[in-house]
Amino acid sequence: MEKHPYIIGVYDDEEPLIKAAQAFKEKGVHVQEIFTPYPIHEIISIQGETSKLTVAAYIYGWIGALSILAFMYYTAVIDWPLNYGGKPVNSFPSFILVTLVFTIFFVTIMSLTTFVFRARLFPGKQVQIADPRATDDKFVMICSISGKDKNEIEDLFKQTGAIEVYEKEL
Amino acid sequence: MYKTEVRGLLIEGGKNLGDVTTDVIRPLELKAAPWWKIALMITIIMCIWGVYSIYETVTVGIGTWGVNNTVGWGWAIINFVWWIGIGHAGTAFSIFLLILRQKWRTSINRAAEAMTVVAVMCAAIFPALHMGRIWNFYFIIPYPNTRGPLWVNYNSPLFWDFLAISAYLLISASFWYLGMIPDFATIRDKTTSRIKKAIYGFFSMGWVGSQKEWIRFESLAFILGGIAAVLVVSVHSIVSTDFAVSVEPGWHTTIFPPYFVVGAIFSGFAMVMTLMIIIRKLYHLEPYITNSHLNAIAKILIFISLIMGTAYLTEIFIAWYSGNEFEIFTFFHNRITGDFTMQFWAMFIFNALVPQLLWIKKIRKNLAALFIISIIINIGMWFERFNIVITSLSKDYLPANWAPYSPTVTEIGVYVGTIGIFALGVLLFFKYVPMIAMSEVKAVMKFNKTKQ
Repeated sequence: MEKHPYIIGVYDDEEPLIKAAQAFKEKGVHVQEIFTPYPIHEIISIQGETSKLTVAAYIYGWIGALSILAFMYYTAVIDWPLNYGGKPVNSFPSFILVTLVFTIFFVTIMSLTTFVFRARLFPGKQVQIADPRATDDKFVMICSISGKDKNEIEDLFKQTGAIEVYEKEL
Repeated sequence: MYKTEVRGLLIEGGKNLGDVTTDVIRPLELKAAPWWKIALMITIIMCIWGVYSIYETVTVGIGTWGVNNTVGWGWAIINFVWWIGIGHAGTAFSIFLLILRQKWRTSINRAAEAMTVVAVMCAAIFPALHMGRIWNFYFIIPYPNTRGPLWVNYNSPLFWDFLAISAYLLISASFWYLGMIPDFATIRDKTTSRIKKAIYGFFSMGWVGSQKEWIRFESLAFILGGIAAVLVVSVHSIVSTDFAVSVEPGWHTTIFPPYFVVGAIFSGFAMVMTLMIIIRKLYHLEPYITNSHLNAIAKILIFISLIMGTAYLTEIFIAWYSGNEFEIFTFFHNRITGDFTMQFWAMFIFNALVPQLLWIKKIRKNLAALFIISIIINIGMWFERFNIVITSLSKDYLPANWAPYSPTVTEIGVYVGTIGIFALGVLLFFKYVPMIAMSEVKAVMKFNKTKQ
């Protein structure tokens, strides 16, 4: 893969990072990515990141529930009705339990699959790490410098309290 | 925001973000301690006995157990319910305390979830063996076949059980693994060992901690957490229907589902307490698993113990109030008095009375006392399941059918084997997995400046 030059700013707390993200946004400097050891909701909202995974899960829930209900009705009532101790073939109360648990089962599998495909995370994936301290105790922000004023970005990093600013090809 | 000083600091010792990583990873970097190796040997011996007993059960048949026509369910079902109960702690901790916004759960949820996964696996062994012909296990899956009846019976609690346990195992394992992904990435980036970098790197699924990843991670955790909360309640309710939908005296009651769910969370929390005291002591994680954490678990245990006591008394009262002679016989002449007096009172004293000692602050601060009480609760919970299964089955409506029951060496072997598997799982967890959810602890550290 072709490598591009980036400026990396390292912060040691979340407060200056939030301020920095805000400052970059106000100045109209595009921040490529922000890596943090834990989720910071302010940053997520400044970056404008959203996820529709919950909407997908809701839809999976309906699909799971309706298909298992239809399946049980088809198998127990239409395809092969059997008399179990005189109970009605369409024993709906029993179906509710199975529907509930199967829906949970289905939503889990489908959400996991969606997550893996959408976030492109899978076992053994090789990644380029901007700064390995970002999963430990530092907060890392990277900006692409292709076609931009390098000094302006560097200054912005320093002004916002970055403890380290350096260049790296990723 | 409403602030009180009910609880102490979440993390003691003035730790910073880097210290959390160093402290949590340290046990993984060190060589195994002598006690760990000895414990591993003991658990392997227990596992070997268990595997041999399972081999005997599968090759010879259920005849190797002490069960008979009257007492068709023996230790296997007692142990199944017991393990599933213990397996409720992880989800109860992660989910309920997440919903209740309890930040103190972050130091404990990883271990509780690990315990859940191993306990549910141990539990699943028993009903599978109890089928007798385990190689025909797939008969329970509804698919078109030539056996006739074509489909499974959806009215059967055993089918509900199969579905519930499979779903529970899947969801608890995925929730546990999901939480570990960022921590595996931390180890990958921190360790100097190339082998560890490769292995933890493989399992970290290419995690880098970008905001896109975090928002999807949080969404998925929210989804899995939300549906698992429903599952925690439904799994043990379904286990209770194995009993409640039958017509045995002492089983056919509506109190069973809530009574089982609360009992499960009770034994689960007790097991979490046992494990937390061990982890804290052996790995010097006192700054993370503080006295305040143990104090909080102890308070939950008192509360659940009161519910358990109320449930026991309600059952007894209803048996008398119903005027049903079979119920009265079961509760008054076959549990409180009679052949199973010892087991009944062990259950009542261990679960409803002993935990009341936790009202005393001095006991809540005494680790040895907490440890002993947590073990006593789990023994009591085992006796509860013994009472339910054996007393009702051995003496039902027709005295001509009455039969005694005692377990055989094979049955005991399977049980010891599952304890071995559980201990083995826990030991491997100590050695190879970060015991505390680092990313979650780091996220709550900003709240550590003031007392919670």
